[in-house]
Amino acid sequence: MISQAVLTAMLPEHLLLLGIVLLLILAIAGHGQRASLFVGLASVAAAAVAAACLSLGGYAAAPFAGHFSVDPAGLLAKAMVLALALPVLLMSRDDFSDGEFPILLLSSLYGVCLMQSADSMPTLFLGLEIMSLPVYVLVLLAHRRPQSAEAALKYLVLGGTATAMFLMGVSLLYGASGSMSLTIFANALGSTDNMARAAVVLVILAFFLKGAIVPFHAWAPDAYEGASVPVTAYMAVLVKAAVILAAVRLFGQAKVSSPLLELLAVLPLVSIAWGNLAAMRQPSFRRMIAYSSIAHAGYLFFALLGEPAGRLQAVAFYVLAYGLLNLLAFAALPPAQSDRQRDRLENLKGLFHRAPFSALMIGIAMLSLAGIPPFPGFIGKFLIFRNVVAAGHTTYAVLGLVGSYLGIYFYLRVIQFMFMSPDASVAADHRSRRLALGASLLCLAGAMWVSVFPGWVIALF
Amino acid sequence: MFEAGVLNVVLFLPLLGAALLLVSPDSHDAYTRRLTLAVMIVQFVLTAWLYTRFDSHVAGLQFETRLPWIAAWGVNYQIGLDGYNVLLVLMTAFLGPLVVAGAFSAITKDVKLFYAMVFLIQFAMMGAFLAQDLFLFYVFWETMLIPMFLMIGIWGGERRIYATIKFFLYTAFGSILMLAAVIYLVYSLQTTSGVISFAFADLVKARLPLDVQSWLLAAFALSFAIKVPMVPLHTWLPDAHVEAPTAGSVILAGVLLKMGTYGFMKLGFPLFPDATLAFTPVLMTLAVVSIVYGACLALVQDDIKKIIAYSSISHLGYVMLGLLSLDIVGIQGAVIQMVSHGLVAAGLFLMVGMIYERCHTRELAAYGGLAKLLPVYSVFFMILTLASVGLPTTSGFTGEFLVLLGAFKAAWPQHVLGNSLPLVLAVVAVSGVVLGALYMLRFALGFLFGAAKAPHQPLPDLNGREKTILGLIIVAVFALGLFPDEPMRKSELAARSYKQLVSTPRLPRSAP
Repeated sequence: MISQAVLTAMLPEHLLLLGIVLLLILAIAGHGQRASLFVGLASVAAAAVAAACLSLGGYAAAPFAGHFSVDPAGLLAKAMVLALALPVLLMSRDDFSDGEFPILLLSSLYGVCLMQSADSMPTLFLGLEIMSLPVYVLVLLAHRRPQSAEAALKYLVLGGTATAMFLMGVSLLYGASGSMSLTIFANALGSTDNMARAAVVLVILAFFLKGAIVPFHAWAPDAYEGASVPVTAYMAVLVKAAVILAAVRLFGQAKVSSPLLELLAVLPLVSIAWGNLAAMRQPSFRRMIAYSSIAHAGYLFFALLGEPAGRLQAVAFYVLAYGLLNLLAFAALPPAQSDRQRDRLENLKGLFHRAPFSALMIGIAMLSLAGIPPFPGFIGKFLIFRNVVAAGHTTYAVLGLVGSYLGIYFYLRVIQFMFMSPDASVAADHRSRRLALGASLLCLAGAMWVSVFPGWVIALF
Repeated sequence: MFEAGVLNVVLFLPLLGAALLLVSPDSHDAYTRRLTLAVMIVQFVLTAWLYTRFDSHVAGLQFETRLPWIAAWGVNYQIGLDGYNVLLVLMTAFLGPLVVAGAFSAITKDVKLFYAMVFLIQFAMMGAFLAQDLFLFYVFWETMLIPMFLMIGIWGGERRIYATIKFFLYTAFGSILMLAAVIYLVYSLQTTSGVISFAFADLVKARLPLDVQSWLLAAFALSFAIKVPMVPLHTWLPDAHVEAPTAGSVILAGVLLKMGTYGFMKLGFPLFPDATLAFTPVLMTLAVVSIVYGACLALVQDDIKKIIAYSSISHLGYVMLGLLSLDIVGIQGAVIQMVSHGLVAAGLFLMVGMIYERCHTRELAAYGGLAKLLPVYSVFFMILTLASVGLPTTSGFTGEFLVLLGAFKAAWPQHVLGNSLPLVLAVVAVSGVVLGALYMLRFALGFLFGAAKAPHQPLPDLNGREKTILGLIIVAVFALGLFPDEPMRKSELAARSYKQLVSTPRLPRSAP
């Protein structure tokens, strides 16, 4: 009985594991990159489909009671995150010629999945680490840049700090309650005990560090810039999504109250404002996206202030919209002679005349990230702020919205470069980019579906 | 039901047109132009047919479509025609083909993208007028910015980047606060009455305390007043107008600015009646300041586009005055004035565009005696100038006269009761008519008469296409001036419902 539940409930994880094993065999057998990319895609897609099917079938089980459980909403979040990994794999072809990228990516995804089902602190920690470790390597793998090593080291050290803070917080929680269950965090949220409070703050700060919230954001621009495009996309979308979804799971049904309320409102607010302001001055596309993702992390953590009932819905929709459009921008980014060239914002000048499709895709992505209707980013923002108003924090919601206004300018600047500036006279690169095109079409189709039928997604959660 | 289907077709036709452009070949500019014009003409014909089918004796929505969109929040795709929007929808559809035809010779760069933007903006404007659900309205309202941003930024003049970013940031700031107000409004409707809905019809039932109403009105009014624009939120307008290509200016002046006044009439004032009454003196003063200040600024401009841009501020001040007078005559005058200004300003901007295409300068001082050089052009120009001034028999007269009449009718009883502010404001507003005549006639005098001079000579006079465009506008201007009865009947019930909604207090029942 138990073994069957383990098999079914962890089917997405098993499929990923199967993919990893196959990839390793392929790597040992010395088969080419084409096969390993295909295996990676197939296993992620299968895992996503499995999670979605289980969720739509209303499957709920706890194969390892108290440590790992699945429920329809969690499975759906898992399926969504896994589906977002597909475009990342598709666009990796340009930057990674060896088979190691899919292996590391799948390993990291295994951790992401684990986090979405964790019921105890050790499982959550395991998921967090399994997710993070391959990413450190992935950042380093961008051989083309000398900064990659620096970026990876920075990311590693700060990631380690986050881990330490998380563990310290968890051990304090264990000391206060004698339990390792995930619920102790939600219980401690309302506690007035100093030890519990300190523990909660440490855990929250660990999440802030992982999610790159000001003032714990400094690693993000360097890491994003140092990594290669698909890895940056992975960090900006999937790692962020996994962290915030885990935070939502951690908060459970608890309502945030003062004094934690201020911590959870002010730092994300500062993040929104600072991320949006600093993004205005970036010369590099990936640095700009890094600051933009800092602002978006602000909105996402803002969601924790909202009504507990609607939190997962709001965050999941936002992650989906933000993820799809961010990936769209990365997938549509035109290739160039060198990675450094590709990354320069100036090189986007006049893009519409060189590559109209790319320009339109990046333009749509920018407008959606700025939260302008009719693109899905707007609906995500609407959901989050509606939820915050529903929890009675109208002032914070207004401040957050005004903060989001600050971001409009730098997104418009990208559009201005692409459509309104004279050509940058960049030597065109005529490599075949069929896979990246496939990734952008996939994201575009998803984004259009989400913006025309947002009710469909919302009804699922 | 058939009409409802046609109304949906009218709304989505431009989107279909944009899709057709997307798949059409790249280098066939002539084909692109013809296709766009054909789609726009079809849209106008269908709208005109709907207009004739519109029953002026029925209050409320006609040809309604209502489909659940985001069921969980009570958001519906709900569109329909009513007395509020029927004239504006007709005007938008009428200006569509003229904008397209007017840009035939002016736009030679990225033609396909340009007409795709015209389609998108037409779609968004139609949607904003037709939407009967606040969420839907907001989506269309914001969507409008994107094609306009690109239109000014790509095909604009020298300082186009500055102008277009200023335009976007100004309007987006109003919108973001309106979004906060929308969220709060819907949430408080939900908590007070248990109804989760974005429908206008449900939202006007919300009973909110005065302070909440005031905050929400302030947020909505900021957004709408930026669009109108009302002094002191008008500074984006001259820049946007001057830098925009002709088609952009025509759309801006013709339709986009009406979004602001329409928003006030349909949403801002009826949603928050008590706050509106409390703030009427302030809003009315701002409206009159807009009339006079806009006219004064128009009087001293050297750039012909700027003259018309500032005159728009002045003319739309009348609309606000009429809406705030809460007198049936004044409200109806405001509606007519919206349409009239849409036609006249569109015509004037088209004419400025035509002379700009020939001479490539907008300096008033560079021109003179065009009556000798371009006789046909000058006749059309003079007619539109007089319409703008408000000469009887033109639409400008009907609108401004009714607004002023309404303002006096509403002000006199208040003056008798001891509140003379409305009366003073109405008197000052009349001076706007005089100033209007002054700046427009100064403009026409320098432009058309005196010693003949122009930067490029010889000048070809208007060709057949241009004559047709202007002829149609002038026919519409006179039709509205001579026979305002029919359109006024169509909007009369809406004017009455507006007056009733705004003058009925809607504070919470339990309030002392």
